[in-house]
Amino acid sequence: MSEQAAARAWLGGLATHGRPLILATVSAGVVVGLATIAQMAFLAGIIHQGIVAEVPVKELPLLFTGLVAAILVRGIAQGLQARFAARCSRKIRSEVRRQLNRCWQTTGPVAMGQISAGTLAREWLDHTDALHGYFARFLPQMVLAVVVPLLILGVVFSLDWLAGVFLLLSAPLIPLFMALVGMGAEKLNQQHFQTIGRLSGQFLDKVRGLTTLQLFGQTEPAAETLRKRSDDYRRVSMKTLRVAFLSSAVLEFFSSVAIAVVAIYIGFGLLGYITYGPSEDLTLFSGLLVLLLAPEFFQPLRLLSQHYHDRAAAMGAGAEIVARLQSVEAANLASPEAFQPQALDMICVQDLSLAYNAERPVLDHLSLEIRQGDVIALTGPSGGGKSSLLYLIAGFMQPDQGRISVFGAEPGEQPFGWLGQSPFLVHGSWADNLRLTIPDATDIAIETALRQVGLGSLLNSRERGIYSKTTEDGQGLSGGQARRLSLARVFVANYDLILLDEPTAGLDSDSEIYILEALHKLARAGKTLIFATHHQALLTLANRTLLVTDGSVQDA
Amino acid sequence: MRELWPWLTLILRRPIRLTVGGLLILATLLSGMGLLALSGWFITATALTGILLAAGVQASLNLYVPGGGIRFFAVARTVARYAERVYNHDTVLRLLTDIRVALFQRLSLSTRSRRSALQGPQWLSRLTNDVDALDTLYLRLIAPAALAALVTSMLIIVAWAFYSQSLAIGLLITLLPGFLVATAVVYLRTYHLVYRQTDARERLRTDVIEHVEGFAELTAAGRTGKHAALCLRQADQITRNDSRADTRTGWNLGLAQVMVNLAVVLALWIGLQLFQQNAISGPVVVLLPVALLGLLEVYSMLPDAFARLGGTLASAARLNRDCSTAPGTESDAGQPPLDSHNALELERVTIRFGDHSPVISRFDLKVCTGEWIGIIGSSGAGKSSLAEVMAGLEKPASGSARCLSAAYLTQQTVLFEDTLKANLLIGNPDASDAQLWQALELVAMADRFTHEPSQLNTWLGSMGSKLSGGEARRIALARVLLNEAPLVILDEPFTGVDAPTRERIAVGMKRWLAGRTVVALGHAPEALPSSDRTIRLS
Repeated sequence: MSEQAAARAWLGGLATHGRPLILATVSAGVVVGLATIAQMAFLAGIIHQGIVAEVPVKELPLLFTGLVAAILVRGIAQGLQARFAARCSRKIRSEVRRQLNRCWQTTGPVAMGQISAGTLAREWLDHTDALHGYFARFLPQMVLAVVVPLLILGVVFSLDWLAGVFLLLSAPLIPLFMALVGMGAEKLNQQHFQTIGRLSGQFLDKVRGLTTLQLFGQTEPAAETLRKRSDDYRRVSMKTLRVAFLSSAVLEFFSSVAIAVVAIYIGFGLLGYITYGPSEDLTLFSGLLVLLLAPEFFQPLRLLSQHYHDRAAAMGAGAEIVARLQSVEAANLASPEAFQPQALDMICVQDLSLAYNAERPVLDHLSLEIRQGDVIALTGPSGGGKSSLLYLIAGFMQPDQGRISVFGAEPGEQPFGWLGQSPFLVHGSWADNLRLTIPDATDIAIETALRQVGLGSLLNSRERGIYSKTTEDGQGLSGGQARRLSLARVFVANYDLILLDEPTAGLDSDSEIYILEALHKLARAGKTLIFATHHQALLTLANRTLLVTDGSVQDA
Repeated sequence: MRELWPWLTLILRRPIRLTVGGLLILATLLSGMGLLALSGWFITATALTGILLAAGVQASLNLYVPGGGIRFFAVARTVARYAERVYNHDTVLRLLTDIRVALFQRLSLSTRSRRSALQGPQWLSRLTNDVDALDTLYLRLIAPAALAALVTSMLIIVAWAFYSQSLAIGLLITLLPGFLVATAVVYLRTYHLVYRQTDARERLRTDVIEHVEGFAELTAAGRTGKHAALCLRQADQITRNDSRADTRTGWNLGLAQVMVNLAVVLALWIGLQLFQQNAISGPVVVLLPVALLGLLEVYSMLPDAFARLGGTLASAARLNRDCSTAPGTESDAGQPPLDSHNALELERVTIRFGDHSPVISRFDLKVCTGEWIGIIGSSGAGKSSLAEVMAGLEKPASGSARCLSAAYLTQQTVLFEDTLKANLLIGNPDASDAQLWQALELVAMADRFTHEPSQLNTWLGSMGSKLSGGEARRIALARVLLNEAPLVILDEPFTGVDAPTRERIAVGMKRWLAGRTVVALGHAPEALPSSDRTIRLS
């Protein structure tokens, strides 16, 4: 339940962000309501003048002009309402995406790596879009469903208070009515989506295993099963839906009965059959106007019940987005120590501690100095803290305690080279892949970098050189080639510091040799290299090997 | 529009249901219009009579017929609305089944190589969305548009018959553009905005996933902000198109309502003229404008539905493309028949993907009937590709592959969200329960299920009994063993199965498959049942 409350609070915050546009939407909606009232008043007035007072049509130009004007205003306000609503939704969705981007930024690459990219993309894309209906339709309509009926009620009361009482009685209390609508719609919604979900599940399950079904020649029986299962679901869900639809039937019943009661009351009043109350003052104008306004009284409520599923969708999506945003807030409660710059030609690690669980710290009051141009190999048992130390120097994580200064700057402040265990490729050409991190790299620099990491022969075999796609015919690069491509980015960029996490793990011997050669070139060029590794050949490349184990570090 | 045709014919296969549903909606609409129009007539009539009575003129009005009519319409409206919603929802769920089953049948005719380009969670979720877009085509689009046209025509005919010809023509001049503005114009004005939206969204999804996967490298290079801005810009382009489509829909809705309201004005203007010429009575003047106001309800449903038509067409086009049943050019003609002593003959088989170097090149293999062969190779050596060529799922790039009909255990374990029994019967639909238990006993899974309350009817999959990888593997193996094909191809049959169980199953298999030909593929000899001959792939 608190999850729901958090989602509601967050949606409320977003509404504040888009308040001017929400207000504009609501205002346009109120204008629609007012124009509708005016239109009905002119209609009733013209009928009264034409039929009771028997004024010739040609002598009613003013009333007709008023009527057409009201109609035009109503149409224009309708258009504006849609326009403001669409803009509001657009603005808020953009804001949510920004919030998520900021959240990712503070989460950092290490924690992000724990979550599936598909999930994060779904939150950013689909869940954010699911907020559209809530802000564009439901939220303004919630206000309009109160304001417009009240306006109409006011007009009806001024015309004939007893007719007003009938309207009020048929919708005893608007909030009560809305709750009724809400409960019905919510139930309907859940049931409907559950059924659809199950049907899709059955269908997708069969599609996924289609090859197996084909191998055994069982596709026809499977289609039969699919039909039978779907039918069972339909029957079960219809049982519930029959009840759920009652809520909309109740709304329909009240509005129909209200119209009928008002019509019959007014008719008898006009005949003079009713001798009490305000009915003596009824005229064709006031009577007709009350009748014409009666359906408009219920219309906003009906619209609200139609938009109710937007709320459910936004709450569901909102809850997940809020959970993501809050996960960062919780993690960032510990305020890091103020940064103190150290020597410009050194990486200084002082008193560094990090623990994922309190009993067994990964790094325990660790201090270390690395000179510019050093080639450092971090080695030690897995889980000993090599990767964590690397992540901290990269600024991908914050330590629990201690300070790091990278060439006089905070970790991550200056760009550096990074090669993770899983290479990162984008769909597109070789050039696209390298320009992702270095947008202004020249063609020559890109080609040189690719040759430096031994991708020259592969490049020669491709027709369009660095502008050919890295992946062709649906066949990817091998793991080793992909990692070399990632390393080529480091060559283009000319970074001072390069961090590598197990750069040769799981590679074929060809790629391994290319990577070693490339790293050797970088070391000779005076770059500072720090890598976590077990690999013997890499250890010999280093001019200093550090053993990271049990939370501390020592020269090996 | 042609892309919708296959789906429309599917939907129209239930003409009676659709007609009844449509009539129920019509009844709802007409009761609503009738309620208001009759009430308007009644109030005007009583007002006029009241004035006469007040002036002391003897006048009378039959109150029972209109009073009864008003009550009837009020009840009819409620009942028709409820019945319509229940009935049409049932229809939608039935159409949902029809469409899914038809789609599945079409997909099952396509070859695997055609599908392999499409599989994957992304494709499956898009497929679901595309199918959903078609489900509501009838209730959202076809029925409201048809009924709006019908009710409009009815009102114009009423105007012609009971009012005047000029009024009927006037209504036609206002309502026809109104109808078009609410339907075709919305569609034309939003089509190009919504048609490519799904594709644009999928492209953006790829970019966002890349952003997340490359987050470490982008952070290191100090480029997350710039790259995120790139994604945001794309997203904004998509939302802007959405937003423009919504705005245009809103303006068209407003314009359509203006047209209907102008028809009301016209009906009133000409009606009052007719009244003053004593051609019609006062209450009848009121009848038509008030009925026309009821038309607003129908017209309001249309623009939104037609704004989505562009997207629905795109969905239909994608489904047509993905599920096209163009059969592959499979000609086994010209192949020499299989030697009667052999179960499998591979001659100079080369397997390659695209223009990459071949995975398997010029591979020869003859397997006699009854022989047990083991094929061993490290990962990536082409075992699975070879198994697929043997099973006839893939064609070799060159060379020939001939074999008896085969039962094939794929490397990937595929179980369905269904009962254990249904999963096993896929291997052999005629198998008796006793045979199923025997097969389960053989793969050492019988004990696991004799303790389950529903035994063979135990539900497998995410909603039912959770199986470990090894357990699922053994059930898939049991399914293959139940099949009676003379050749059995097993790709890594024992993945996730511990050594003692593996031994036990291997012994059982020797007996069960006695006399049949078995080709087993695996990464090491201990991953396979003992065989007469072992081949190493290098």
